[in-house]
Formats: sequence, structure tokens, C-alpha cells
Amino acid sequence: MSTDILELEADVVVVGGGSAGSTAALEAQRRLPEGRVILLEKAHVKRSGAIAIGMDGLNNAIIPGHATPEQYVKEITIANDGIVNQKAVLAYANRSFAMIEELDRWGVKFQKRENGDFDVKKVHHQGSYVLPMPEGYDLKKILTRRIRRAGIRVENRVMGTRLLVDRGRVAGVIGLDVRDGGFAVVRARAVILCCGASGRLGLPASGYLYGTYENPANAGDGYAMAYHAGAELTGIECFQINPLIKDYNGPACAYVTGPLGGHTVNARGHRFIESDYWSGQMMLELYRELTSASGPVYLKLDHLAPETISEIERVLHRTERPSRGRFHAGRDHGYATDRVEMHISEIGLCSGHSASGVWVNERGETTLPGLYAAGDMACVPHNYLLGAMTYGTICAENAVAYAAGVDEPRVDRDAVEVERERVFAPLARPRGIPHQQFEYKVRRLVNDYLQPPKSAHRMEVGLAAFLRAREELAEVGAASPHELMRVQEASFIRDCAEMAARASLHRTESRWGLYHHRLDYPEMDDERWFVHVNLRKNADGEMEAIERPVEPYVVRLDDDERGAYGRLRIPAPASAPQELP
Amino acid sequence: MKKDDAEREPIKAAQARLVGNAQTVLRVDVPVVVDLDRCIQGCRVCIDSCPVDCLAHDPATGKAHMRFDECWYCLACELDCPKDAITVKIPFLLR
Repeated sequence: MSTDILELEADVVVVGGGSAGSTAALEAQRRLPEGRVILLEKAHVKRSGAIAIGMDGLNNAIIPGHATPEQYVKEITIANDGIVNQKAVLAYANRSFAMIEELDRWGVKFQKRENGDFDVKKVHHQGSYVLPMPEGYDLKKILTRRIRRAGIRVENRVMGTRLLVDRGRVAGVIGLDVRDGGFAVVRARAVILCCGASGRLGLPASGYLYGTYENPANAGDGYAMAYHAGAELTGIECFQINPLIKDYNGPACAYVTGPLGGHTVNARGHRFIESDYWSGQMMLELYRELTSASGPVYLKLDHLAPETISEIERVLHRTERPSRGRFHAGRDHGYATDRVEMHISEIGLCSGHSASGVWVNERGETTLPGLYAAGDMACVPHNYLLGAMTYGTICAENAVAYAAGVDEPRVDRDAVEVERERVFAPLARPRGIPHQQFEYKVRRLVNDYLQPPKSAHRMEVGLAAFLRAREELAEVGAASPHELMRVQEASFIRDCAEMAARASLHRTESRWGLYHHRLDYPEMDDERWFVHVNLRKNADGEMEAIERPVEPYVVRLDDDERGAYGRLRIPAPASAPQELP
Repeated sequence: MKKDDAEREPIKAAQARLVGNAQTVLRVDVPVVVDLDRCIQGCRVCIDSCPVDCLAHDPATGKAHMRFDECWYCLACELDCPKDAITVKIPFLLR
């Protein structure tokens, strides 16, 4: 194992080379052709991040002629029950089309009509924002090629563990080489965190630790790093919960199948929701149906024409999660003959799908000067893939400008030494508790006490367990750099579990449908709770919840629009209970 | 509980909190299966592709194998292998 410290210097360091990190690094390098841009990636940029294998479409494309930025801001404001920083959503909306055009020039293949126009589909409750990418399996390759061509310095297999802070501003990042156990200290004027979701938080129903919806490499690294550096996080109580294929835990993909005629039905074969767009309210309706006598719930495709089914298979079995076809085949299931059983996933934190992330404004700035965040870990609600890429660009633009105006930060050598001891401590316990067992226990407790519907009593018990887990980390051992990585990830997961409990306990109302459905406070209370709940580390080093007002809207909502997402349920047929199919 | 046991229990309970660890090895069926006849010795393509770093060279063969049961069944290794030497199965718990 390496005992060297790799010392690097950068103007801008990007942590995480997925969708957000790739565009952040590309934009920073474009603006600093002679500058020092470094991209750290804990995996390898060619196959990393949430879309390691590609993506089948853009879920939030704002394309002239189909939607306007203002319409989109309204839709997301309503879908997120009003608690949004509209300026941040609008900054995305205003730049989303330019990002699509750029990706189009880079060779990303979007679905187009015969006249060359983008072929936009309607999936959301109100507007049309879905742009299919039936050949989206090339996306990651295209990004990687551009990173190589731009000459960006990439450090693969280096995982950020903590940020460096100097007199109230970010000073760089500390990392672990997960292959040779080397220790990296990157001094940087600006840091852009693009570490993805906290996708390994709840335990999948299958019990398989890595059978998550998100790429399991996304363990909440960025959430933990931002928190420990003193940045605020927000909307953590607005969990990510997805309607997934049972056991496989990948998306059932109503976004792909919906425009082709697929839809969600209950065991009686009846539709029960009007819109398959993933909102908290939709998830609550799905949860109610699943736990009723009409459950389970299915994706229904068996009514479609054979050629439509072939088209669906061509897209779903080649992009995003291509092993899906293998899963169905293994059970002798086919879309023409069998409905796809769906369920409610375990919880995660992810602003790409809901709203839980590091607090950022419309410039991608966190509350710590010099620290920026983009993608699934940065709170711009429902931001998805295109939001990650657009905000990667926004962050880079502002980080480069910031870096030009500040002097070189100082590296606190004592802090580096403290971190080195913390990261390598498990090596002194090669026969300590294995990381798998520690992680399994924390995540099982997340399911037991935090999976909605929530209540204070249960969450208090969970919080006590997560605080105990902090002590138990001192018993966890490692015998290799790989295991050191997993122990670090386990600590990130524990941090995120504590965040999820504290934020959910603080907001004593229900909001965002199932995401924050509290049995002890079942009503939404705009008078008291029309605020952001933020988390931060206080002076004693403990986690505290604070409130921030929702900034005045830049796009006004009409009163009759506010409740649109509350009207998703299709009334059950009035006839007597019917025979099950 | 007998009287002796009742006296012994607090001692054992205290000991249980302090005693060292004992461990065993678990046999696990893993999703990634490498065809050793096709796999190229020394090639690192799949090992570099894996987003969760669960593949490595098997010191016994110099070829790739799944060292850690930490698979997202994403197929990156299988798709990127130049020799079509890899088959990814859906993990048994999900199958």
C-alpha cells in the first residue's frame, strides 16, 4: 500500500466525474485553457455516475415551441409543494435549451421528427418536457471523449473524503486512492462537488446492499463532505422514493413507455393515477394502492401492438439499465404476456428526483465561499440529468470567476493529519467489524425508522440508533484500500441517515406526498411551514436544523394552479369489486 | 436460570461488551462470471470499467474475476470486454 501523499494544486477541482462533473470540468477547462483544472473520480470517468450506462431520455427539456422556462418553473414549484428557490430553477430553465443544443453538437442522439425538430413528449401533469434519447447509451462515451480531448487532468479511483477549509472558505479536497491506498491533498481555490445522490441509504427489499436504484457508488459522499465543511443542506426531509420494478429495483420507466401507451394499473387492471410523473403526491397514491386490497401495482404494456413492444424493449433493454431484459427473461416474463410488478423503493436523498441536497443558489454557490455543487447532490428540485449538466456548466462559470479573485488558500497541515488518521484508522483493526455488516445494520435501521409514513416516536428511536452507529464506526475494520473506501462510504451513509432523521423530525407537518408523510402531523401547514428546513454543523460539531424563508417567487402562481398535483387520483369505478385477472 | 447462572450472567454480559472479535468466511454466489478461456491475461478493461470497483485480477490466473460481491448488474464490464468473456447474471437475491 502506498504511504506517499500526492500533493496537487488547482484553480478549480471537480469532485466526481458523472454528468454534472463532466460538464463542470469541461466548462472550467474551456474558461481556463492555461489554468489548473483537476477532476477526481472514485471510479473511472468512462463508466461512472448515475448514467454509467447511458440514459433513455431527458425528463425536463424546455424546448421553444413546446414549453417556456416560466411554465417549467411553475410546474416544478407546484410539483414540489411551493418550497423551491425559484431563481435556481429558473436559471436551469433558461439555459436548458442551450445545453441540449450543445449536446446535439457533441453527437448525443435525440429523437427528432422528420422535419428535424426535437420530438418532445408529455409525461408531467401539465406541460411537455420529455425528450427521448433512444440511442442514449453513447452519452457517457461522448462526455469521456470530450474530457480526453480537452486535456483535463483526471485522477481516476480517487475518492474525496473531506474538504479543506481555510478561514471560512474552501481550500481544497482530501482524497483516498481506493486502489493503492495513497492519500491525495488537492489545494484549490474553488471546489465543485458533483458526487451524486445518497443512493445507498435505505436497504432494498431484496436485501442486496448494491441492488439500489441509484448507482451504488453514489453513497452520499458529497452530502457528508459539504456538511463536515460547514455548508448547509436543505430539503433533506423531502426523500427520494421511486416506483420501481420489484426486486430488480430499476425504473419501470413510465417516461419511456407512457408516450407509447403504457401505464400503471392496480391488480384489478384499473388505472388509478392520471400522471406517471414522479412527484411525492404520485408516490403517495401508489403507496395507498400498493397497501390496499387492490395491490400490487403493475406497469401494463400487454395491450400494446407487437411493434410498439419491440420499440420499448429496444430502448429499455439497451440504455440506462440494460440488464432489465435479462431480469424479465430469467422469470420467463415478457411485456406482451406479463405485467411488470412495481413497488415503492427504499429511501434515498437526491435532488435530481426530489429536492434533498446541498443548498445552492442560481449561481451554484453553496453557503461556504468557494464551494459549488451540482447534480443530484445539489438542491435544485427535480433537476434530473439535464439539470446536472446545465448546473455543472453554471458552477464552472462562477467557480472560475471566483477563483480569479481570491489568493491561494492555505492548507491546514494539522487538519490533513487528523483526516489521514481518521481515514486509515480501520487498518489498525483488520479483524474489526466488516464494513458490510455495519452498512447493512445502518440501512436496515433506516428502513425500520425513516421509511414513510413517518412519525416522531419512530424517528427518535432511529436517530438514537444512528448516533450509536457513529460510536460503532470505531469498531469497523479494513484490510485493504478497497475496504477503506467502503468504510468511508459507510460513514457517509450514517451521516445521511442522521440528516434524514433530523430534518424529518424538525418539519412537524406533512408535505410532498409520501416523501414527507407524517402520521402525527398529517396536514400540510403553509402558515407555519412555508420555509426551507436546512441542516448545518453547529459550533459544538453537532447537527442542527434551521429555517430559511422561501424567497419571493419570480414566476407567480395562480391560486387554482397550486393544487394541481393534489388531483392525480382517478376515482375507482363505481361498480362492485371485480374479479382479479 | 440456576443460581450459579444468575451470578455468572452479569460477568458474561460485561465480558460480551469487551471481548475481541471471532470471524468466519462466507461463501457467496456472485453475478459476474468470467470465461477464463477468452479473458486476456493482464487486460484491465473490465476492471477499469466497473463503477463500484468490484473486479480485480485473480493472482492465481492473472485474469479478471469478481473479487467483491458488490455488483450493480449494470453490464459495463460485459459491454466493454473486447473478448466477450464476461457474463453478468442478475444477483441471486433479485432473480
